[in-house]
Amino acid sequence: MRTHFAEVLARESACLAGVTDGAKLAGWRRRVVEELMTPLSPYVLAMRQTGDVPDRADFLDRWRELIAETVDRLAQSGTTGDTRFSSGQTRRADVDAQKTAVLILAALHGGSTLSQIAEDPWPLNAALDLALAPFAATEDNCPARAGTSSPIGNMNP
Amino acid sequence: MTTADSRDGRRLTARGAKTRAKIVAAATELMYIQGVGATTLDDVLAASGVSKSQLYHHFDGKDALVRAVVDHVGERIMEREREALGHVSTIRGLRRWRDALVQNNALRHGAYGCALGSLASEVSDHDALARQALSQLFTEWQGLLAGVLRRLQDGGALPPEASIDQLATGLMAALQGGYMLAQTARDVTPMATSIDMALAYIESLSDR
Repeated sequence: MRTHFAEVLARESACLAGVTDGAKLAGWRRRVVEELMTPLSPYVLAMRQTGDVPDRADFLDRWRELIAETVDRLAQSGTTGDTRFSSGQTRRADVDAQKTAVLILAALHGGSTLSQIAEDPWPLNAALDLALAPFAATEDNCPARAGTSSPIGNMNP
Repeated sequence: MTTADSRDGRRLTARGAKTRAKIVAAATELMYIQGVGATTLDDVLAASGVSKSQLYHHFDGKDALVRAVVDHVGERIMEREREALGHVSTIRGLRRWRDALVQNNALRHGAYGCALGSLASEVSDHDALARQALSQLFTEWQGLLAGVLRRLQDGGALPPEASIDQLATGLMAALQGGYMLAQTARDVTPMATSIDMALAYIESLSDR
């Protein structure tokens, strides 16, 4: 059990460190969705509500912290926001990094559960569209285009 | 279908129905508290006080029993949610729905999570029938949330271009993920934060 946690944290630490703008955040998101939709991937195993609770709690705390650092970095750099509904003003200053990280982690967790029972990545993508809305890391959440490749390239180590 | 009594309509005597209900109630409680994987048929026998032959008369194995638990929990939660969400048409109403869920979960320090979400995270890769039943239940639950959001949209509180189904699904994921984080943290705070952030985003759409 510990090994899945360590594996996910190592990958997340490496990938999130490189996220410096909205496009890279979208790349991170695509990769995590792919991991969570791959049966028995370390991500799927790490998300299970089984095993030792203190270990899980520690794992989730650390992942949340990595996400919060990234959110904070993006907010500081004034990463441009979602333009679909935009009326000109950005809302970047309002972003609370810790709370946003909780929502993103919850979206990954809840969204992957909904996607597993639906056998469809759509719910997970809908969850992340909502959670990442302040950073314009939204996808065209359309099953037909799920395989579109990322313009910024593959972020796998 | 393998849950003979409920699914193919074979009639139960009043006593048979009572025994079956007793088994399902005990199994629901055990699976909620200790998880589906950790609950054995022997646990269910001990907790319900029925005999092995009675249990096998109603269920031909654990999968069948888990499906009955999914149906039972689903019915209970959908009844609660239909009542809670069926007539909500304001953000304030949606916040009251959120308050009730958070409050209820806080009573147990969030230790057990959402009964339906816990089942979903445990059985989806084991049993296709249970997975399909859960998928239908969540679709219905999200439909209730979509109904609320559509009424908000009709009232002008959400812009016409907002994608209702996507928001309803995102809100459900925030709720379920929040339950899961609270369960691990043994603290309801992350659940409250996650729903509040999702609701704040939905609310922010109105003034863009």
